[in-house]
Amino acid sequence: MSAYSSNRRSLLKIIGAIGTTCAYPFASDELLAQSEARHEHAPPQSRVGSRFLNNADFETISRISELLIPATDTPGAIEAGVPAYIDFVLARNTDEQLVAADGLRWLDAEADRLAAGSRFTDLTEAQQLAILQPLCDAADAAASADAQARLRQPRNVQFFALVKGLTADGYYTSRIGLIDELGYKGNKVRAAFPACNNSERGDGVRSPSKV
Amino acid sequence: MPGKVYDVVVIGSGAGGGTLSAHLAQRGADVLVLEGGPKVETRTDFNTHALPFEFPSRHIPVMKPGKPGFDGERSRGLGGKTMLWNAVALRFSQRDFKGRQHDGAGQDWPIDYQDLAPYYERIEREVGVCGNYDHLPDLPDGVFLPPVPMKCSDLAIKKGAATLGIEVIHVRKATLTKARSSRPACHFCGNCMSGCDVVAKYNSADVHMYPALKTGKLTLRQNSIVYELATSDEALVKEVRYFDRETRAQNVARGRIVVIACACAQSVALLLMSKSSRFPAGLGNSSGQLGKNFIPHITAGYEVFVEELIGTPAVNDEGFLDHAYIPSFMHARQRDYPRSFGVQFGYQNYRTVGWARSMPGMGKAYKESIKSHYPAYITFTPYQEMLPNAESYIDLDPSRVDEYGLPRARRHWKLSDSDMRLHQDLKVWSRAILDASKARIHSESSEPETNHEIGGCRMGADPNTSVLDKFCRSHDVPNLYVVDASVFPSASEKNPTLTIMALAARTAGHIADRVQKGEV
Repeated sequence: MSAYSSNRRSLLKIIGAIGTTCAYPFASDELLAQSEARHEHAPPQSRVGSRFLNNADFETISRISELLIPATDTPGAIEAGVPAYIDFVLARNTDEQLVAADGLRWLDAEADRLAAGSRFTDLTEAQQLAILQPLCDAADAAASADAQARLRQPRNVQFFALVKGLTADGYYTSRIGLIDELGYKGNKVRAAFPACNNSERGDGVRSPSKV
Repeated sequence: MPGKVYDVVVIGSGAGGGTLSAHLAQRGADVLVLEGGPKVETRTDFNTHALPFEFPSRHIPVMKPGKPGFDGERSRGLGGKTMLWNAVALRFSQRDFKGRQHDGAGQDWPIDYQDLAPYYERIEREVGVCGNYDHLPDLPDGVFLPPVPMKCSDLAIKKGAATLGIEVIHVRKATLTKARSSRPACHFCGNCMSGCDVVAKYNSADVHMYPALKTGKLTLRQNSIVYELATSDEALVKEVRYFDRETRAQNVARGRIVVIACACAQSVALLLMSKSSRFPAGLGNSSGQLGKNFIPHITAGYEVFVEELIGTPAVNDEGFLDHAYIPSFMHARQRDYPRSFGVQFGYQNYRTVGWARSMPGMGKAYKESIKSHYPAYITFTPYQEMLPNAESYIDLDPSRVDEYGLPRARRHWKLSDSDMRLHQDLKVWSRAILDASKARIHSESSEPETNHEIGGCRMGADPNTSVLDKFCRSHDVPNLYVVDASVFPSASEKNPTLTIMALAARTAGHIADRVQKGEV
């Protein structure tokens, strides 16, 4: 999933340029959203445009995204509108729809195996994490592998990686994620660019760079 | 159709076409510019200051709704790619023009550094280039506005590189660090490559085209897509055939001289499309070299975390993207390949956080990890020079046409063994610099990628092995010129735009002299 890996262009169409626009503004052949209208005040949780997930699956995706990025002193994935973003992307990417559908079916089958008649969202948090943590570990292990190796991953691991990637994209491009959580401070007019001043960085700088 | 005959018809309005047209108009030549895309209002048409959450897809489109232009492949629109470039402005050195004299590889330019030096200086004074006077043998100093201070992350890399004997310098960019009467100084919003709405960064539309239009000597036709150059029996271009991008109405333009400046692959494609009984393999292609010698820059890519910045508070330090540069350092070292590489780094924009998806873990620890790494994230991209080879060329796709029914340009490239040795060594050195800087690699490119398209229409002294002469004039067609990176016989590892502009200025002077002498 590296921004520079050879499968860069095969990333989901909607997010194909996130993180790499800066490096390759003209290499990207999928500036799909050219004519897209701005939704300055779109409520973050509204489900924009066509949908892919039914209500039960939307709840499952919501739960996984919140387990991935929970509310702490800042809001988590659900409040940041991540589930609606995931649905938005899935509705426009057919290959990923298959991965998502398989993964959601697999999760509910696992839930049913643990407690007959249950769906994933009926399980306790501990049970949910017990299902997801092995997938997370396998996805992390595969993250450094090449695209072909990732495609050979079990379907449920592919599903987890898909949802994790979309959750990260959706959360950290939201106002909550980018500004409230990460503290993005750019996009401002400055009179001058200040020389590196490590005191601005607080006490976290261990060794000031003096060159 | 008895239309006006201009002194010069220029196709394209980017770095090459814009510079050349403005210089010709200043010299009093009657110039027509055919631009394939629409007019662009720099101050209002780009999403310069948008944030991702303003869009359902979270992808920030280049243009505002209803504003066409600048698609990924062709960048059609007034100003061309200069509207979105990163503005790194480096002079080539004498070694870049005459590399073959050092290592016996590739092809040399038919000109020397001294031929272009006055034009580099003229362009630097005209557009404004900031930088530091570094006195390096392979990266000549220019005429500079004050440089911008390095970022904390730059200083970490500089300190690490120094332990390996590698120099890190202030980046050189065509961005104003001091205001001029017509343009403000940079305000460091960090969105340079999303269209600089105040024109602190050079773009051809605002700095060259609009002022040239005020001379009354320049005529601009927007949305005019050229598809063929028709020649006369005397092997002169007699008609430039084009159609309107919106209505598709066909038209012709006539000039005593015709200059192509459509950006590398598109210029080559236009010449290949302009076949005739006299030039069955493409206009000006008696050498058979048209489209050959495609030598784009080859890059690797790293995403890294500077360890001393992990866990520090996020600050506003996007500046004007990269503030530092690692110039080529391999010329003075033993190696088993010709040529070299330089490194652009620290040009990340913090509006997007694409690397978060590949950080390990989940839950609270994952969230905390993203936050602590956010201020420490930087990009690191070495650029290498590639040498020409028979398997790297541009041609026309016989089976696919674009939205206008025109053949698409195809780029073929394959790295030679020597190019691959350079690439592997570039990665070894990149890892060593990052390691010495205590910068942890998050991701590393698995395959070489291309950027900065160069070659396909090279200059040379010998008409049998080159397409253009030393003034970028066709060996075959005396009233045809090309000014963009397609003309470079060798690529250097340095960003091409300043050299495109200097060559365009030199060719403009040559053409204006011919016009004044009544030669055309």
